[in-house]
Amino acid sequence: MFKRKRTAKDFAEEIKAHLALEADDLRGEGLSEEEAHRRARVEFGSQVAAQESFHRKGRWQALDNFLRDLRFGMRSLLKSPGFALTAILTVALGVGANTAVFSVMNAVLLKSLPVSDPQTLVYLRTSGQPRGTGTVDTNETMSYPVYDALRKQTRAISSLIAYVPLTTSKVAVRVGSQAEEAEGDMVSGTFFSGLGVNLPLGRGFTVEDEANHAPLAVLSYNYWTRRFARNPEVLGQTFYVNGVPTTIIGVSAKGFEGLEPGGSTDFWLPLQNRRELNAWGNPPEDGKLYIANPNWWCLRFIARLAPGVRKTQALAQLQPVFQSASRIGLGSPMQGEKPLVLSFADAKNFPGYDQQYGNPLRILMAMVGLVLLIAFANVAMLLAARNAARQREFSVRQALGAGRSELFCQLLTESLILVTAGGALAWAFAVMSARLLANLAEIESSLAPDRTVLLFTMAVLVVAAVLFGLAPMRVALAGRAELAIRTSAATSNADAGKSRTGRIIVALQMAICVVLLVGAGLLIRTLRNLENTPLGMRVDGLVVFGVKPDIPSVPAGVAFYRNLMSKLRVLPGVESVTIMDERIGSWWSNNSAMMVDGRLPQVTEGGSLSVRSNVVGPDFFHTLGVPILSGRDFADSDTVNSPPVGIINEEFARRFLPDQNPLGHHIGTDDGRFTMTVVGVVKNHKYRSIDEDPIPMAWYMYAQIPQIGEMHVEMRVNGAPLAILPTAQKVLQQLDPNLPLIKPMTQRAQYDTTISSQIMFARLAEFFGLLAVVLVATGLYGTLSYRVNRRTAEIGVRMAMGAGRFQVVWMILRDSLSLTAIGIVAGIPLAMFVGRALTSSLYGIKPLDSVTYSLAVAGVTLVALLASAVPASRAASVDPLKALRTE
Amino acid sequence: MPTQENNDDRIALLQGTLDILILKTLILGPCHGQGVARSIQRQSEEVLFVDHGSLYLALQRLEDKKLIQAKWGVSENNRKARFYSLTAKGRAELLEKTSQWKRLTRAMDLILDAGAEPQGEEA
Repeated sequence: MFKRKRTAKDFAEEIKAHLALEADDLRGEGLSEEEAHRRARVEFGSQVAAQESFHRKGRWQALDNFLRDLRFGMRSLLKSPGFALTAILTVALGVGANTAVFSVMNAVLLKSLPVSDPQTLVYLRTSGQPRGTGTVDTNETMSYPVYDALRKQTRAISSLIAYVPLTTSKVAVRVGSQAEEAEGDMVSGTFFSGLGVNLPLGRGFTVEDEANHAPLAVLSYNYWTRRFARNPEVLGQTFYVNGVPTTIIGVSAKGFEGLEPGGSTDFWLPLQNRRELNAWGNPPEDGKLYIANPNWWCLRFIARLAPGVRKTQALAQLQPVFQSASRIGLGSPMQGEKPLVLSFADAKNFPGYDQQYGNPLRILMAMVGLVLLIAFANVAMLLAARNAARQREFSVRQALGAGRSELFCQLLTESLILVTAGGALAWAFAVMSARLLANLAEIESSLAPDRTVLLFTMAVLVVAAVLFGLAPMRVALAGRAELAIRTSAATSNADAGKSRTGRIIVALQMAICVVLLVGAGLLIRTLRNLENTPLGMRVDGLVVFGVKPDIPSVPAGVAFYRNLMSKLRVLPGVESVTIMDERIGSWWSNNSAMMVDGRLPQVTEGGSLSVRSNVVGPDFFHTLGVPILSGRDFADSDTVNSPPVGIINEEFARRFLPDQNPLGHHIGTDDGRFTMTVVGVVKNHKYRSIDEDPIPMAWYMYAQIPQIGEMHVEMRVNGAPLAILPTAQKVLQQLDPNLPLIKPMTQRAQYDTTISSQIMFARLAEFFGLLAVVLVATGLYGTLSYRVNRRTAEIGVRMAMGAGRFQVVWMILRDSLSLTAIGIVAGIPLAMFVGRALTSSLYGIKPLDSVTYSLAVAGVTLVALLASAVPASRAASVDPLKALRTE
Repeated sequence: MPTQENNDDRIALLQGTLDILILKTLILGPCHGQGVARSIQRQSEEVLFVDHGSLYLALQRLEDKKLIQAKWGVSENNRKARFYSLTAKGRAELLEKTSQWKRLTRAMDLILDAGAEPQGEEA
């Protein structure tokens, strides 16, 4: 490293010259030859010390020592590659799993919105909606008049940002001739400026753009990358959204994926005011779009507090404005209706993730934390065992003058090598698995590990390095210098008390393993239950896709879908075709109270009036395979000219029409404006998601109601369902070249999206449980075989004294079984505690499920027996003569 | 390690002073290490004691800093020895260090002499 001009030899030469000159002088002063040389040497002091200082001079002493330790450590690790490999892999698995889960947690729960100064941003929340209005989310969405009133309160909030998606799924877009689908939001002109999101390319929207409903679009960085390969020339291009031409004027900052809960937005438009681009893709209600409709509470808001204004102050100013605005266009409140209350929610983090993933993620983090504990304990024990075997080496080195600090430095270096290698592997492992996790959980935002994650991993690794350096230190130092003289394996090794720590650690690992297995078992059984939950229909063979045509009038819309269905029905391999307004299995549903025979039903049990309704096409239940209990399915003959008909499910009949034949009764919307006759009762089946409980449901016939918009086509086909899609696409393009198939997938896959987080957590828990089992097995195996090795002499004596092989095997097994028993006894209460924390994530299973507990206990016991099999057989094969002779 | 018994009234050098003394000694002309040590001891009337190990280290340090340069040569009594001489940079350094040292000792004197009985000698 540092180039030295002088060699040590040259320096030694100089010292020799010095001694000669000094001796000459002393002789000149009258000393004898011999005495002169002696005095010269004495005067000089230690030549070795001088040479050593010369050697050290100009070097970075610590680094020099470190490099020496490093070389030494490498050598000694290479001498036991099995140990090194096990330790490195254990660290890699333990730390990698933690890094992966932490990076998901970081991305989902901890990361701030990539906006400037997120602390001064708040989401606006309402306590509810005025009676008689429609909403999307009871607490999050509000009406345009509310927006218009609140945005003028600039003393409290410097900007109010409104945003609303163009649809619940994806909208049709087109650049050039190819029709595609993308996720888009309409936003206020304050969106980019108010949030403080930069636009690396082009510009954001202005308040004027919003006021003019200018046909402009800003793309997200992700979409720009994915679709346009980051071509800067996209600026100025025409981008068709639902057939409406807009001009691309900008690309938003990297990492900003919009404000939609759990989703990522591809593009934004200023708030529009035209039929094709209504909020949520809804058809106009009574000819009114969301801007003109105080009954449609559909906009989400986020606000930037004015500088220096506290949340409470801002809220106090907004409250009265909100309360009067909430009544605009609605007349006076009904009797007993309380005024709505506005509140704020912190907007620091990404929206919506916490509810969906917060709890399971925290539990997973705890689980991998436990895995890490097991892993670290394993490596520490491995190191301790290895270094105990090296006790004589340490004793010799201490006898030769190595200080404690030098020994410690060397042990620390060895642990550092292990941890560094393990850490590097762990990082690679984590980057890979984070990508996998994102797919599994269908989290759209980026999960790539960032600096926070790196810091977390480094911190874990540093703890590991110190721990692994310290753990074996006790053992190493326990062997004092004088031990070097003793040679017998029995005397220098047999130290009964020392292995107690190891046994405690193994028992603890067993306990943790029980906890992890119980947790994994509960989650896996939950997933099994969900997967085996009957949907109430024949879901296989169904394929679904969305269509959003431009609909100038209701009759034209009905004609379009009728035409589409008749064209699709005649395709080869198609059994039946129907359409629906809300796609089933997508979490979406229409919810409202419904009139039964002219009035709102009386609910005795204090239960809810809420009915989940859907608007569907002919042959709906036949296509889904839902049994019709009485009456009939919708048919092509039900048209706007025939009497309106509706269908209900068993639960509706049980709840609102008990003890009577529901057929022939009249049901309708809660405002009394649409009434239909019940012509069919169908069996309960799942609507929004797999885990929903039966709820009253009702279906309208699409051709009979005064509204029509985007619809989802459901087809029952023979053979592979997805194979029909290209043909279906061709049919659709013949009707309108602008139209893509929106989110095409099998109906089974669609339902599975409603349990995607359960699928992810069950798979992960399974993996971590397995990991824990493997780690515990290797740990136990290591400890037992180490103990057998050390007791070889003892076993030899026992056998010489007449102990049978069976007794020897039993001695080892008893050892491991007693550890297991202790672990199980300690682990079960812990597992019960964890099970209780998991309660909300379970489905169809109790947190104290005895089968899961029995399986976990059996699993741990089996692992213990397997891990002790090899050491036990080794003990049994000890040759007493040999064992004693080596002493 | 043999310990040096310091029962005489020689004073070990203060940290950092050895460098100046070496430079000062060498201003009289090139000299080898042993000669420098002798010269310092003699000129200080045997009060200052130079640890030889540190002396050679100091010489090496000065050489690395290019304040002195070294060359193997032959001594007056025909012994091979490494001779050190001042460089221009070394001369400048000596002047600067000397004036610094003088200011320091003057300041020390001012404080130590103030109001105390004059005891002198204590360098």
